[in-house]
Amino acid sequence: MSVIAPVVAGTERRQSFVAQTSAMSQRAVLALWRQPAIVVPSLIFPLFFAALGASSFSRAIGLPGFPPVRSFLDFALAGTIVQGILFGSITGATALATDIENGFFDRLMASPTSRTSILLGRLAGGMVYGAFQTVFFVAVLIPFGLTIASGVPGIAVMVLGGVLTALAVGALMSAMAIRTGSSEAVQGSFPLLFIMLFFSSAFFPRETMSGVYARMADLNPVSHLIEGFRDLTIDGFTASAVARTLLISGGLAVLTMAIALRSLRKRVAAR
Amino acid sequence: MSTVDAPLPTADRPMASASGVTHTVPAARGMAIRSLRNIRRLPSAFLPALLMPIVQCIAFSGTFFAITQIPGFPTDRSINWFMPLAVVMGSSFAGIGIGLTTVRDLESGFYDRLRMAPAPRHSLLLGPLLSAWARVLVVVTVVFLVGMLLGARLTSGILGLLPLYVSGLGIAVVSTGWALGLAFRFRDMRAAAIMQLTLFLSLFLTTAQAPLDVMEGWLYHVARLNPLTRVLDLARMGFLGELTWAGTWPGLLALAVLSALAMIWARTGLNRLDH
Repeated sequence: MSVIAPVVAGTERRQSFVAQTSAMSQRAVLALWRQPAIVVPSLIFPLFFAALGASSFSRAIGLPGFPPVRSFLDFALAGTIVQGILFGSITGATALATDIENGFFDRLMASPTSRTSILLGRLAGGMVYGAFQTVFFVAVLIPFGLTIASGVPGIAVMVLGGVLTALAVGALMSAMAIRTGSSEAVQGSFPLLFIMLFFSSAFFPRETMSGVYARMADLNPVSHLIEGFRDLTIDGFTASAVARTLLISGGLAVLTMAIALRSLRKRVAAR
Repeated sequence: MSTVDAPLPTADRPMASASGVTHTVPAARGMAIRSLRNIRRLPSAFLPALLMPIVQCIAFSGTFFAITQIPGFPTDRSINWFMPLAVVMGSSFAGIGIGLTTVRDLESGFYDRLRMAPAPRHSLLLGPLLSAWARVLVVVTVVFLVGMLLGARLTSGILGLLPLYVSGLGIAVVSTGWALGLAFRFRDMRAAAIMQLTLFLSLFLTTAQAPLDVMEGWLYHVARLNPLTRVLDLARMGFLGELTWAGTWPGLLALAVLSALAMIWARTGLNRLDH
């Protein structure tokens, strides 16, 4: 009995952690489902820019340095997915900041709930939404001439990459929400994401850029994140494309989760 | 009393006539001065309108550096193409800033005090417009200087700046009228999203990114009919070739018609507010 008891306690703790995370996740997903007006812009705007680009830059695909693609949409898909996820992830972090502002976060902290499950649960909403966005963008753009060289397996990897990207960006934004406790501050980070996106290869290949700007795009992790998705679209289902898509988004997710958890620990310690 | 609704110092107060009614221009001047003072007191309300076009100028000309190699592109400098776009966009957002300030005044009740003041109704439109113009002068000058640092060059001499300033000031009338009309009708921050979204989309559904000759598909047809394309043509004229009347009048006409419609929209909104 004395040997079994700690095992049972450990199992119960794990079950409890899973149940708490699951409950928090359901709440986060339902919040997105019930307020479509909040998330619709992160679906519409990336598609708008993809449509603009396809019409404006269709002749640019023959430029030196441009990857071999059938249409500009093939090139634009990766940028569209990451752009949508970047903007969508603000929604989850804003909701977390709102929880802090209205006191719900304090009630959670006072309850016997795992700290990590509070954060993971909130981010799960963004992760589900990231998967949905990836599928949505692919499904909408295929009738307009998008071709994905890696086929269905590639789309599956992109969805997984979308989930990890949503976790990475969501965790970073959540760290800001936890530190500031202000939904306005989180919303205010939008221009920062916009700049990160523009100073990357989201809209045009790095090979066509020059000077300082090209070097900034080289150093910007968003460029490398996007190019993983782009390799799957253009080059096909290769080991390097899969690794690039998952390892960069996964690596960023680990890093930003560590930052978010550290922020959470600091906030708990300060109480 | 908040910093926003602080009374004007005596020297800046609009002059009232013998009947106690303040004339349009002095009253508008007073409103414009108050609005400009708010830039110093609330820089966060103006800085985005200044920083956004600068960032856009750098980001677009850097990202799309290579598009000038597309056959038929009218310049070999991407900054020459994108800097005027940034100016027009920044100028239009200066007008939006005025609309947001008006929404704040409406929500706080300060605007009711303005409406009750013995000043002509025109001054409630002219004042914000003067303020928008003052902001635009700053935006156009700063963005142009940044553009020059990034390699922009006037192709028709210093006179080429004239259409740039005219299009900036003109688009500010359009955006101010549009934003005020929305503010008067919604009376809360719901108007903010519509102000920004409509202008943003309208400006991108033009030759914002590429000239008509280079475009293909649906955008070509939309951009060709969009009057803002003519405004952009006007703004870019001094950076793409010689100044010509044929290149000038479509932009001026577009600005005149859009400005008239926007100010009618604002005036009818103000009338609706009174009722």
